[in-house]
Amino acid sequence: MADIITKTPIWEKLGFRKASGVSEAGWGHTALAAIVSLIYFFPVLVIIITSFKLQTDALAVPAKLFPTSLFGLLPESMTFKPTLENFTSVFSRAFTNGGAVENTGFDRFFFNSLFIAGTSVLLALVIGTLAAFGFSRYPLKGNDTYLFIILTTRMLPAVVVIIPVMLMLRVVGLSGSYLGIILLYTAFNLPFTIWMMKSFFDELSPDVEDAARIDGSSDRRVFFKICLPQVLAGLAATFVFGIILTWNEFLFALLLSSVDTRTVPVAMSQAVSGGGIGVLWGLLAAIETLFLIPVFLVTFFMQNQLLRGVTFGTVKR
Amino acid sequence: MCRSACVGLRAKGNNATADFLGMLHMTTTALPPPPTAPDAPAFLTPALDNWRGAIAAALVLSVIAIAALPAAAAFWTVGALVALVAATFVVNAFRRHYYGGLLVAPAIAMLFVMNIFPLLWSLGLSFFAYQSNRQTMKFVGLHNYIQALTSDIKAPENWANLQTTAVFVVCTVAAQMLVGFLLALLFAKQFPLRRYLLILVLTPMMLSVVAVGVFYTYYYDPTFGLVSQVVNRMCGCQYVLMSNRAGAIGGIVFADAWMWSPFVMLLVLAGLVSVPKYLYEAASIDRVSSWRSFWTITFPYIRGLLMLALLFRTIEAFKLADLVILLTKGGNGTMTISYHVLRIAQEQNKTSEGAALSYLLLFVVIVLTNLYLYVANRRSQEA
Amino acid sequence: MKWQTKLAATASAAALAMTMGVAITPASAADVVLKMAVPDWPPTRIMKKFFDEQYKAPSGNKVILDVDFIPWPDFYTRVNASLTSGEKKYNMSVADSQWLGAFVEGGYFRKVNDYIDADPGLKATMAEIHPAFYDAYSTYPYKSKNIYGFPQFPDVLVTYGRKDILCNDDEQKNFKAKYNTKLPCTGEEMDNIDWTLFQQIGEFFQRKKGDMLAGKPADDDFYGIAYQAGKGYDFASMQINGFIWQAGGDIWDETKAPNSHAEGVVNSPAAVGALDHYLSLLKYMPPVVKTGTMDIFKSDELFREGKVAMNIDWIGLGEASLDPKTSKVSDKLVFGMTPGTRGADGKMIRWNNLGGQPFVLMTWNTDLQNKEGMDFVKWWLSPAIQNEFAAGGGQSAVKSVYTDAKYNSYRPWNRAWAASLDWQKDVWHVPPFFDLLTQQQDQFDLAITGKQDAKTTLNNVAKYQENLLKEQGLIK
Repeated sequence: MADIITKTPIWEKLGFRKASGVSEAGWGHTALAAIVSLIYFFPVLVIIITSFKLQTDALAVPAKLFPTSLFGLLPESMTFKPTLENFTSVFSRAFTNGGAVENTGFDRFFFNSLFIAGTSVLLALVIGTLAAFGFSRYPLKGNDTYLFIILTTRMLPAVVVIIPVMLMLRVVGLSGSYLGIILLYTAFNLPFTIWMMKSFFDELSPDVEDAARIDGSSDRRVFFKICLPQVLAGLAATFVFGIILTWNEFLFALLLSSVDTRTVPVAMSQAVSGGGIGVLWGLLAAIETLFLIPVFLVTFFMQNQLLRGVTFGTVKR
Repeated sequence: MCRSACVGLRAKGNNATADFLGMLHMTTTALPPPPTAPDAPAFLTPALDNWRGAIAAALVLSVIAIAALPAAAAFWTVGALVALVAATFVVNAFRRHYYGGLLVAPAIAMLFVMNIFPLLWSLGLSFFAYQSNRQTMKFVGLHNYIQALTSDIKAPENWANLQTTAVFVVCTVAAQMLVGFLLALLFAKQFPLRRYLLILVLTPMMLSVVAVGVFYTYYYDPTFGLVSQVVNRMCGCQYVLMSNRAGAIGGIVFADAWMWSPFVMLLVLAGLVSVPKYLYEAASIDRVSSWRSFWTITFPYIRGLLMLALLFRTIEAFKLADLVILLTKGGNGTMTISYHVLRIAQEQNKTSEGAALSYLLLFVVIVLTNLYLYVANRRSQEA
Repeated sequence: MKWQTKLAATASAAALAMTMGVAITPASAADVVLKMAVPDWPPTRIMKKFFDEQYKAPSGNKVILDVDFIPWPDFYTRVNASLTSGEKKYNMSVADSQWLGAFVEGGYFRKVNDYIDADPGLKATMAEIHPAFYDAYSTYPYKSKNIYGFPQFPDVLVTYGRKDILCNDDEQKNFKAKYNTKLPCTGEEMDNIDWTLFQQIGEFFQRKKGDMLAGKPADDDFYGIAYQAGKGYDFASMQINGFIWQAGGDIWDETKAPNSHAEGVVNSPAAVGALDHYLSLLKYMPPVVKTGTMDIFKSDELFREGKVAMNIDWIGLGEASLDPKTSKVSDKLVFGMTPGTRGADGKMIRWNNLGGQPFVLMTWNTDLQNKEGMDFVKWWLSPAIQNEFAAGGGQSAVKSVYTDAKYNSYRPWNRAWAASLDWQKDVWHVPPFFDLLTQQQDQFDLAITGKQDAKTTLNNVAKYQENLLKEQGLIK
């Protein structure tokens, strides 16, 4: 594993860092990777470009892919005039032709998405890590059967459980509340969290723990002072995977949220059939682009942890 | 449930080749409970710490309650039973200094309430003739299952949808594995700007399925779409990708594989970057061919992760419905079993029938998953 | 297991639930909250706006209309799940006319005859609603005396046309030379289009990129006609039903149940001929029709992007084509009635499937909520509000409103509105409506994408319907 150097020179930040177990390649490889990455990224790029287009430019044939003609280098038919209108209409626009500009509630929806995904993933992380530690260190009889059953809960189409869940939440008065949907998402995230975190705990060397126990450390101390610090990277990785999976969940959010707790993926459909207009391409693209930013940033800044984390958990022994 | 396969998955975790088991093996590095602990109560003993008895009793009573009581009363009964099970867990754990139970309890409770209980509920419903918009219920035993498997109207449709699903599973999982693997090879090396290019490749899996589906209809559209614009220019004809079965399946598989290959890539990449460098150095001194060094050095490190990715992506591929809905509405022979279940259970409110079909599907997935685990285990034992 | 344990567990579960339940506070006595589920689009946004600005309950209570705007694509899923799960969250909801049976039989939609009988004013208002819409939106069983719903946004299919193409002199001349008939250009001429002429327009305007179109080279492939032919929801049935009725065929007739049958009616020679006719026009339409995804939104989009000369679509999508922000043809529009079939005597035979949505009350409402709800309905259907609604882009099925001369001035398609109302019918309202529709749409899709012929298609549909309706006890 690469050491975390306290002071990182700028060239290492730019990707020049060397890591053991990783062969080095130069700018030639960068060129190849750049071509592949950009091709792979192209459909996303089109969405981002579309978010700056007016509705009448969005479907133009031939496609208008460039915001500038590069001083006449590109034909006029392939360029469009970028606009920020879509981004402002995400948050406020007129719902009727010529009507007054109203708040769309998207500020609230974005907050809901952040709040619900963040809370439920953290909650799942806490509960799941404890359970994973339990499964790993104090196996129950039939431990593997439990773990398999936990995995099984992810195998059925969500539609099968939705009606009982709705009914249950109504009976306890939680339907449409934050708590209800957060609890559901926590459960939704638990199988993955438990499986992932258990594998991290399984990989830890037992020698250190045994030594600590012989020295008289309590079980709690062993967990907090010895085990947990070693799987921090794994926690980061699980968090990112959890966020990615929860962030875009649609069906439960549609059926369990009320107006106040609606999340962005549900509200996004507003632009798919925007008031009897069919797809509002620019608006949909703008919502998606804004919606991508938080999870993009989280993934970007946890990228090293993510890679090291997965590595650490599954292979190192 | 998975006895035969999982038992074999235990142990054998002592070398790096068994990294897959690292993820899957169930009982290593475990500390036995302290010897001072009292013995566990017998299954039928009415003791506060008899959690196994409590679970069994709770299950039986829950099923009875759901069947016999009105919904609200059934809910509270089951809620109380769950609390009882939880209580037995806690007492059991304390009596025997048994921290495993205490640690696992919140997760089990959460999963039971939010996942397993609704699943059991729908399992129960699958034995009734129940339509959610009709509020009448009649016990019909296995009728729904028999209908789904043998009725001359429903069975051929289910069978066809299952076959289509199989085609999707094979194609999309294969594509994801291949693309994910190749991408991982590309990014396994350290090179300038790697961080920034890697995040570009990871982006598709962060997108919302709705946006991906809607934008792929745009890419594939014969009039406005980018694909047709390019192909039309080359062939001078009118290209309509989604007008036949192969094109429609290909289009959906492409979108799905594009979105989820990064997931496979991340897992494989994790294996690749963990191969100790000295192994490669040793291999190069011995002038081992690159193909051979891949199979003997690299592959053992990623095989387990490949299998893990295969497992997770297969489970997800069986649930493929949203992209089908957005791109074809199931037309041109793209109807999957999950979308079929969605239509039956959601649109047509045939709750019982949908539940029965889901459990048949679940059976297929469980068999397949265990087969995966079994094969993976055999292979790694041979290695 | 000890009984104490059970008791303790029950008590703790109850306590937990109570602490959670306390958060819900009831509204004060004089406040009446009507929670309403509606699709998110202009007609409902306008209703909410009018309500907030103008509505004063005659009872003196403070009535709050708490509207849940749900995006259209997921509206059914959301409302259906809310109702069937027993959530009892909404007091009122917009529905589709076809949903009535399923939700009335389930005990969700409230029969309101008692309130209407008690209020002569409201009764008079109900009598003002055009019978086609009254039957489709209000009654269940279809055309019975039981009243459930009221028009929220009534809708019919109209033909959208491109003036700049249709009225172009060159095109007019060439069309006349080729077919020896005038290419329709004005709204009145469009009203008189029959399917033969519609087909000729489709054939005539198939242009490749670079071909001359209305005096200049076309910048992209261009097509003459479009109508819905999509697999989703009801996006083929709504058009095909019109063809079948015009050809003298019929769909399964629920009003004559249990003696009416699907077998022999649904797949009658007239119906097969009608479906063949429908399918034969598809080859003149934009290529997306081959994918089975040309729904009402796609054909509208093609029209707004200027790729087709004529499109048959709901009025509900019209606002977008008038708005230059969303339409490239906003200043080139002409509207007419949808095509009919020319009978042997030269007279036009017209039938179509109506669209739009009613709104309904729920069975679990309190008496006070129902009373306030009915007052709101009365206010909504009052001519003043209906006129204002129509002026803002809505439609009205209230006679005194749509017969008023100023009605036609609100929107360009309104000239076709009143004339279209008399020949609208509706599809089934029976509880297994979604089963019937889904299977039929699947079969139509197979025909549209060229996988089977019209006869096989309708035979399959008839067989399935006969079987299902018998199973459900709807026919003998």
